Amino acid sequence: MDFATFMGLLPSILSSALRISTPIALAAYSGVLCERAAVINIAIEGMMLVAAMVGDLVMIYTGSIWIGVLGGVLSGGLLGLVHAVFSVSLKTDQIISGTAINIFAGGVTGFAYRRFLAMPSIPRPNPSTLQPIHIPYLDKIPVLGNVLFQSRPILYMMLILTFLIHYMLFYSPWGLRTRAVGEHPEAADTLGINVYKMRYINVILGGLVAGLGGVWFSLEQVGHFDMLMTNGKGFIGLAAMIFGKWTPFGSLLAAFIFGLPEAIQINLSFYFPNIPYQFLSMSPYILTIIVLTGVVGKALPPAADGQPYEKG
Amino acid sequence: MPEKQGWAWGDWLENVAVPILAVITALLVGAVVIWSVGGNPLVAYKGMLDGAFLKKRAFTETLVATTPYIFLGLAVAFGFKCGLFNIGAEGQFYMGELAAVWVAYNFQTWPAYIHLPAAMLAGIIAGAFWSAIAGYLRGAFGAHEVITTIMLNYIAIYLAAFLVGMKGPMRDPRASVPQTRPIANSAILPRLNELPAIMQHPAVRVGWAIVFAVSVYFLLKWWFAKRVTSIRRKQAYSGIIALLVGVALFIGLAHLTALGGPFTDPADRLHLGFFLALLTSVFVWWLLNKTTIGFEVRTVGANPDAAEYAGISIIRNFVIAMGISGALSGLAGAVEVLGLQRMLKSFFSAGYGFDSIAVALLAKNDPFGIIASGFLFGAMRNGADLMELRSGVSKYVIGVVQALVLLFVAAPVIIRWLYRIKERRGEKIVITRGWGK
Repeated sequence: MDFATFMGLLPSILSSALRISTPIALAAYSGVLCERAAVINIAIEGMMLVAAMVGDLVMIYTGSIWIGVLGGVLSGGLLGLVHAVFSVSLKTDQIISGTAINIFAGGVTGFAYRRFLAMPSIPRPNPSTLQPIHIPYLDKIPVLGNVLFQSRPILYMMLILTFLIHYMLFYSPWGLRTRAVGEHPEAADTLGINVYKMRYINVILGGLVAGLGGVWFSLEQVGHFDMLMTNGKGFIGLAAMIFGKWTPFGSLLAAFIFGLPEAIQINLSFYFPNIPYQFLSMSPYILTIIVLTGVVGKALPPAADGQPYEKG
Repeated sequence: MPEKQGWAWGDWLENVAVPILAVITALLVGAVVIWSVGGNPLVAYKGMLDGAFLKKRAFTETLVATTPYIFLGLAVAFGFKCGLFNIGAEGQFYMGELAAVWVAYNFQTWPAYIHLPAAMLAGIIAGAFWSAIAGYLRGAFGAHEVITTIMLNYIAIYLAAFLVGMKGPMRDPRASVPQTRPIANSAILPRLNELPAIMQHPAVRVGWAIVFAVSVYFLLKWWFAKRVTSIRRKQAYSGIIALLVGVALFIGLAHLTALGGPFTDPADRLHLGFFLALLTSVFVWWLLNKTTIGFEVRTVGANPDAAEYAGISIIRNFVIAMGISGALSGLAGAVEVLGLQRMLKSFFSAGYGFDSIAVALLAKNDPFGIIASGFLFGAMRNGADLMELRSGVSKYVIGVVQALVLLFVAAPVIIRWLYRIKERRGEKIVITRGWGK
């Protein structure tokens, strides 16, 4: 293929990358919310999987995609509450609590899939995915309009959340308290901040955001739930969070980079039929490892990250 | 509750009681889940029990399912002992399968006593290499193994999908579905029902008789060391007994069919891998508690700062612990391919990765406890099909039960509160650490 063909495909590659980066970015934001309050959440993958399943189920039973989205998001929040109970109140090892939620998610989604979803004809609304929204005028901008302003709703929400979380985290009292709890919970406690309450709020918020990332799979991308459809994107999101130095904008950039290989694969595989698709499929995971080795400089996590708080 | 205070259990009792109560509680909650979706928990659990134990073959199938859980549980536990969380057992397992099957279907001319060990060694090396990557990246760059091992899982899955898949170099061109060639006869890890035929050759019997006799000799010498003072008598006793064992085996191994059961049932799939798993538990216990490697690994796991101050290299031990952990996972893959599958199909996730974490934690990372918890998970896996058939409850409910087991074991507060068990002092163990440290 020549340079002109490639340039012609570029907007398509960029918009695919942004689309694919949506759940990764949302997973990363979920991680940011939890870890800024010093709770490690590796259950994001499981939360997304459950939310994808619940979203599909609720859509089938109510006939409305948007109620499905709501149901999925809430199920993520509920798992966030579970994670908070174990890691904040019961002081369980946070990574193990997260692992248990991931196992649970694999079991409960498989269970529900067999029971409710693995049937030949289920009445789903038509179409069963959220439809693209064209932003008037802006969608006519040559490259940018194609990439940004003809997207589907959860992608827009993800972009809005980037700004919202950034603002809330760094410019609101809630954000200040969150960061205090994450860096030095003893000091925060002394100043009258309720450490447990802040951690509960943040982990539940993180669950809700992960839930939004989950319904992206079933209700924005595919139109139904598939077994294990999140395919490790929650974990890649965690890597994006680390790469993005625990900030929303950094996470978004990282998620975009992690989305690029798959976008390239989708758009260019036609021109390179001899490269086995598996190699491109594994590239985001390889990229994640390379990025984690700190080729791009080291960042420090919140100081109290992963440690349960014992009230003195 | 009649007891207000609760009573203090012994240390050992507590280590056993809490996991057992955790399992029972998880099964009770699972029963509620089954009931809430319209299933009958009694029928379901009866089906699971029957599926796992009722017939002789059901029981040996449970042992077959237990085998990888023991290896993988040991693998995860070894990582934990060094403060490392190896979620990548599954990927290392696949790498072990790939390497072992490659050696096993090539080199058809090698004799069995070279080919089989070589295939197993290939699996061990591949698994160790795959996990040592994560250990090195953790030690040298601080890249957290929770993320890197999960990423390595996905890479291994795609690598296997490529190698064995439609256009892959390891695919058997004659087969209609993507799979490798069957492995050579010289590389199979025998099933029990294949042993009688193998043992008809006197040379094989002589070989095994010598191996066992020599092991018995050294075991006895070690055992007599504290009990008999005279060196000459020690050697004489050990030698005579070892000789008797050797002769008895030489004669006895020819008559395995007389034992019946799995030795004669042609459909029975129990293979030597299960017994290898039991031996490996002993080996891991020995490695952890009786060697310098184990001591250093445990020291780093308990307190990396103190270890470093004492001159123990953290990076080295991360790589060693992760490497041994991966070696065990790779061995699990090799055993599964050489003993059970005898070829490698283009596959989807077997779901061992997270299960093996639960196996290790349920046993509190104790190598012998892992035999028991692996057996429990093997039984659940094996009994799940009949449970689904009898009660109509999807076998995925097992996953819910396993997650609950893990939660209850990891948060013993709940179990203690439910059953009024007093907490023993000074048993807080940090299992994992945050990203940065």
